[in-house]
Formats: sequence, structure tokens, C-alpha cells
Amino acid sequence: MKRTLLLLVCLAPVLAYAQGEELENPGTVLAVQDRTYRMVSELWIGIGVAPLDAFYKGLTGQVGYVYHFSDSFAWQVGRGLLSYNIKTGLRNQLETQFGVNPTAFPQLNWIVGSDVMWTPIYGKTSWLNSSVGHFEVFGLLGGSVVNERIAADVASGSGQTVFRPAVHLGLGARVFTSKSVSFRLDFSNDFVIYKGLESNILLVQLSLALNFGGTE
Amino acid sequence: MSVSRMQPATAAAVTLLLVLPALAQAPAPQPAPPAPANRPPAAAAPAQPAPATAPAQAGAAGAQPAAAQPAQAPKPAAAPGAQPAAAQPAAAQPAQAPKPATVPGAAPAAAQPGAQPQQQQQAGTEPPPKVDPKIFDEALKDYFDNKQEQAARKLYAFIESTPPTDENYSWAQYFLARCLIDLSLRHGGAVYLAKVAHERSNPQVLPKTLEALKVLTQVPHDEVLVDEQIFGSLDLGFLPDSVSDYANYQQGIVDLRVGNERWARTHFVKLEEEGVEASRAKFALLVTRLKNAKQVDDQMIDDFLDLSKDQKLTLEARNEARLAVARLRYEKKDYEGALKAYDMVQLPSLDPGRATLYLEEAWTRYNLGQLRATIGLLTTLDAPSFRDEFLPDKYILRALVYRDLCQYLPAKRAAKELTRRFSDSLEAIREREDLTQDFRLRRAANSHGSTKRAARFLESLNLEGEQLNRHAGGFGDRLYKHLQKVYDLSHAEAERIYQQRLRDAVREEADKLLRADEQVRLMEYEVGLKLYERVKRGAKLAQPEKEIQLTSAQIAFKFTGEYWNDELRSYRVSIPSRCIEEGAQ
Repeated sequence: MKRTLLLLVCLAPVLAYAQGEELENPGTVLAVQDRTYRMVSELWIGIGVAPLDAFYKGLTGQVGYVYHFSDSFAWQVGRGLLSYNIKTGLRNQLETQFGVNPTAFPQLNWIVGSDVMWTPIYGKTSWLNSSVGHFEVFGLLGGSVVNERIAADVASGSGQTVFRPAVHLGLGARVFTSKSVSFRLDFSNDFVIYKGLESNILLVQLSLALNFGGTE
Repeated sequence: MSVSRMQPATAAAVTLLLVLPALAQAPAPQPAPPAPANRPPAAAAPAQPAPATAPAQAGAAGAQPAAAQPAQAPKPAAAPGAQPAAAQPAAAQPAQAPKPATVPGAAPAAAQPGAQPQQQQQAGTEPPPKVDPKIFDEALKDYFDNKQEQAARKLYAFIESTPPTDENYSWAQYFLARCLIDLSLRHGGAVYLAKVAHERSNPQVLPKTLEALKVLTQVPHDEVLVDEQIFGSLDLGFLPDSVSDYANYQQGIVDLRVGNERWARTHFVKLEEEGVEASRAKFALLVTRLKNAKQVDDQMIDDFLDLSKDQKLTLEARNEARLAVARLRYEKKDYEGALKAYDMVQLPSLDPGRATLYLEEAWTRYNLGQLRATIGLLTTLDAPSFRDEFLPDKYILRALVYRDLCQYLPAKRAAKELTRRFSDSLEAIREREDLTQDFRLRRAANSHGSTKRAARFLESLNLEGEQLNRHAGGFGDRLYKHLQKVYDLSHAEAERIYQQRLRDAVREEADKLLRADEQVRLMEYEVGLKLYERVKRGAKLAQPEKEIQLTSAQIAFKFTGEYWNDELRSYRVSIPSRCIEEGAQ
């Protein structure tokens, strides 16, 4: 009983303060604005890099189309990537000093795929206290078909081209510059599924996105 | 001997001309003007002075900038005034003017050499040194080489030692003005441009002078000197098209200010229909008619509405027209229409807008019963951009809204906020102190109307005065001292005008504050009664108003006291009503 009383005595000032605050400063204030930028049909083209493989670095070009059902949910209907691979120093060394056949190295050729896009964050930011920029952050989840050249027989130096499925996971940010033009920065990874030979293809990509049909 | 007398005579005449522009209005006889086609392109050389070099060279050098042609040859005989002074005895000087009586500033001074030393003593200056007329060409070269300080010094020396009848005299004044303007000494430049416009001794210089003066009217300037004495009193017959509209407009405005609309119309009808000035004139006429109107008719609202769509007007003027529409509709109790007009006001990106705009819109929404939207706009008025605004109404309106929502404590606090915030000013009013010394009232008075313009001009004079000191070395002693005098005189006059306007304006603001204080006291009393009103048995709170849901196209940022300029018109307040339902027992 005493404990209960003591608790009540302790809580009373807190409750009184909360009520007093509510009485003196009633209400809440929101800044409600129309979204300045709304995406509908997005066509994008990007360049990027696949930096993970030790034997080559892929310079990639990719195009894609996204249909936005709402401001937070979209379907990346299709995307296609081509990789131009540049040998690393290690591979050069292997080829020139150890006589490894150039076709023995596995490398990425191209990827196609489709994803869903979820955009939970839309915000604005101040640039040097003189202008306001709008951005959004999105996540991607989907599937890909990866075309790779693999070494069929390293000893003989023969290779072959294979298709493999992959799970595509990505995180990206978009900065709007106008109603119809925005720039995307995507970090994505394709988890290539193959029994016993799972691999990752990491991509960092910068894209120009054109929006069609956005509200003015 | 004759030479030494002649120079002081010229100097005295020039000094008089510079100090008293009114004495120098009669144009001096002019030699044949040089052909403008011989001059450099306008982009490279905005003005076209008569060169000291022979015009015969122009055929070959016509495409070259004037600055690239340093004077080599002496002046042609067509410019007698610029001949070396040593060749001209002082006694011969008056004889060159065919009508000495019409040149009271120059010729008589030259005719009375005995009076000159006395005038110079009064002016406290040494006799100007004799300079070679070629200095004019050197000055032009310096000007086009962006050496404004040196050019100004040489041009002033040329002006001092050359009679006003010289062919290049007006050009020298014009270029001196341009130098000063380029050096951010705009008022000094305006004074010299005004001299050229007053004297009108060289018809070729005049259009450029007036155009330069017109540009100067965009910034704080001496309204009496430029607007009234130049544009307000120009003989409009000879003006080029580029400035005649502006001059007509300005003269119409002067007539409107003295309440003569009919005379103003005679100027306004001469304006080109498609020109900017025609739109501005329409706006001025409407505002004047509105001031004098006893009752507002729909036609006037429509006229303002038409004007608000006139793309020839500046955005600010169009917004003024929209505000006028909103105010007129408000007066006619067409609150919905007023809101539409307020919505039409366009602000540049991230521009906070004007406090009066938000306050007026808040009153309109209050009258429409949109209490929460009203509080939203009042939240806007608390933004740092408007913290220094003098808006006593804001506190009254906030108290009214809270009272209507039966939020009596906040209502009382809002009402008290006015007396707390303006306690010093209210005390000063009650003690009958000098209100111009009250910081808040003075700031309020300085924030609009003619007082604002006078304050801005005074401020610009102060800045330019400081700027002048930085050029003391480059200008040389004579020009520096002369400009100092010009600035001191102008500053004294600007200060006088400002103080005069300030006295009237602070009185108006004090009246406004007193009225608001009175209303706030009434409000405090009323709220005090309500605060302690007994709640009847069985009473219950009124049904809460339905919250407006966000649409998919909207986004909400919770306000935590950080104001973003792009959000100022977007605040939405959720505040419950504490009113008791009427059906309570």
C-alpha cells in the first residue's frame, strides 16, 4: 500500500507536467506538401563497375525500365547488363609468366533480370543553405540470369559459356534534378546459384533516369 | 598674367556649375557634333565622345575602340574651348559666348575675374592646375582599359580646366559618372549624370545619360534629384524612344502624387501601349483610384486581376496586383475569392515571401472558420525570416483562434505575448519619449513605404562614403575632396528627409501598436472570464473535428521548430477543440 502511494506521489508531478504542457502548447504541426517529384515510367541507362573478381574488373553498361505503381512500390520490369572486362595485373602475370590460357579464366558476359523496388524513404536536403534537393532511397529484390564464361578445364585452358540463375539484391538512392530527370546510385549484388560454385557479382552503378508521365 | 587669371575664372565657373546645377541649365553654343558612325561598337564602348583625334582618321580606325586611339593630334579648330588656355586671354572668354546673359553660371564668372579668387576661397580649393586637352583621350583610354580610378582623376582635371562650352565637356562629365558608377559610387555618378541632363549642352550625350540615369533608378537613389528634377521636369519633345516612355511615366507619377490625375493621364496616354511603363502606369492609376474611392466596385477588382496577368510587369508588381485583388475581395467579404487571389501570389523558389501576405491570408481563413489553417499560417509568421516584423495583429489573431477553440490558457498567453514583446515600445509611447529612438518602432517604420526608400538611400550613401575613402589615393586630392563635399551635402539632405519621414511613420506604427494593445487587453479580460467559468453538470467535449487525411500525392514532415522556406505555406496544425457541446445541462 505504501509502495503504491509512493509511486503515485512520484508519478503525479510527471502527469501534471504533461497535462500542463498540453494545455499551454496544444496541438501538433506538420508541414504537408505535395510531393515535388513522382515517378511513373522510368527508363534508365547506367554505367558501373564490377570490382570483386581478382582476375578482371568489369566495366558495365546497363539499361532498364521501371514502372512505378505508387510512390513507394515499383516493378523493375527488365534490365540488361553488358560487361567489358579488363584484365587485372594478376591475370596478366598468370598468362605471361605461368602460361595459363586466357580462356581459362571465368568472367561475366552479361546479365538480364527483373526486380521489385521498394522506396520507403523520400526526403529533402539543404545544399549550403541555399537550395533544396529531393532524394529517395530504395531497395531492390529480384532474379537474374547471368551469362558467364567459365573455365571448363583449367589445365587445358578450355572454357565454355554458361547461363546461371541469380538472386539480385540491391540498395540505391536517387537524386532528383527535375520532374523528368534524376540520377541513381545503385549498389547491387547477384548471388549466382550453382551447386558448389556459388559466387557473387557485386555492381556499383551510376545511372541517368528519365521519367515519363510524372505529374507536373 | 592673363593666363593665370583666366584659369581661376574657368575654375570658378566649373565649381559653380558643379555645386549649383540649377545655374547651369542654359546650353552653351556647340560646335558641329562628330559623326556617330565613326565611333566604336556599343558593346565595346558604350558612349561616343568626340575624339581629340581628327575625324578623318575614322575611315580607317572606325572599327577600333576609342581607347585604342590615344590622342596624338591636337584638337580640331571646331573645338575652340579645348584649345590650350595659354592661347586664350581671359578677356576673350566671354566674347566666345554669343549670349552671355543666358549662361549665368559660366560666362559672368569668367567676365569677373576679380570675383574668382574670392569664390575659390569660399570653396576652399586651390586653383585647378592647367592640363593638356589630350588628357581627355588618355582618360578615355584608361576608362576602356578598366582603369576607372585613373580615368576619373583625369576626367575631373579636364572638367576643372575646360570651359563648359568645350565639345568634350559633357562627354567628360558623362564618363566621369560612368567611372564613379563602375567604382560603386553610384550617387556620385548620378550627380554628374544629372549635371549633363540639366545642362543639355551636347545633344549626343543626353540619351546615354538618361539611359544611365534610368538604370540608376532601379537601386536606392536620390529621388528628388533623379525622379523629380530630371525625369519629372524633362522637356519631352526631344527625348529618344528608349527613355521618353520612362520620362512620361515619371512625370505622370509626379502628377499623381500631387493629386492631379487628369494631368497624369495626359502623360500616360503618350506611353506605348505594349511597353512596361504603360502597365506600370495602369497600376499606379488603379492604386490612386483605389485610394480615393469610397466604394469598391467589381470593375476595379477585374482591372487589378487583368493587371496581375500582365507579363510586362515585374513579378513583384503582379503580386501587388494579386494582393490588391485579395484585399478588395476581403473588403467585400468574398473570403473564398480572396483566398484564391492569395493563392495566385507567386514567390520565387525558396523566397520566404512577405509577412503581410501570410497575416492577411490568416485573417481570411479565420473569417472562413478555418481555425487550424489560421494557426498554421501564424506558425509561419514565427519563422526567423519574420521574427523582426512588426505585426501586433498576429498576437490578437492567435488569441482569437485559441479562444474559439476554447483553449483559454494558450489564448491568454498569446494575448500577453504582445504586451510582453512590445513592453519597451508601449512604455516609450506612454512616457511620450522620442519614438524615433525606439528600436522596434523605428524598424517597423523603416520596413515599408517612403521611409524605407529614404532609409535605403541613406544607407547606400553611408556605404558609398566608405567606398569613397578607399579610392582616396587613386582619385587624387582634388577629386577626392570634391566628391567628399558632394557626399557630405547629399548625406545631410538625405538624413533630413529620412528623419522627417521617420517621424511620421513611427507615429503611425505607434498608433497601430496602441490599438492592438487595447484589443489585447479586452481579449485578456474576456478569456479570463471564460477560464474560470463553471462547467455545467453533464457537459461533454464537442466532437473532435475530422482530421484531413494525407493523399497519396502528399508528404508530411513533422515540424520540430526548424523552418524551411519551402514549407512556409504548408503548415497544418492538429489541435483539439476544448469547447463544451451546447446540449450540455
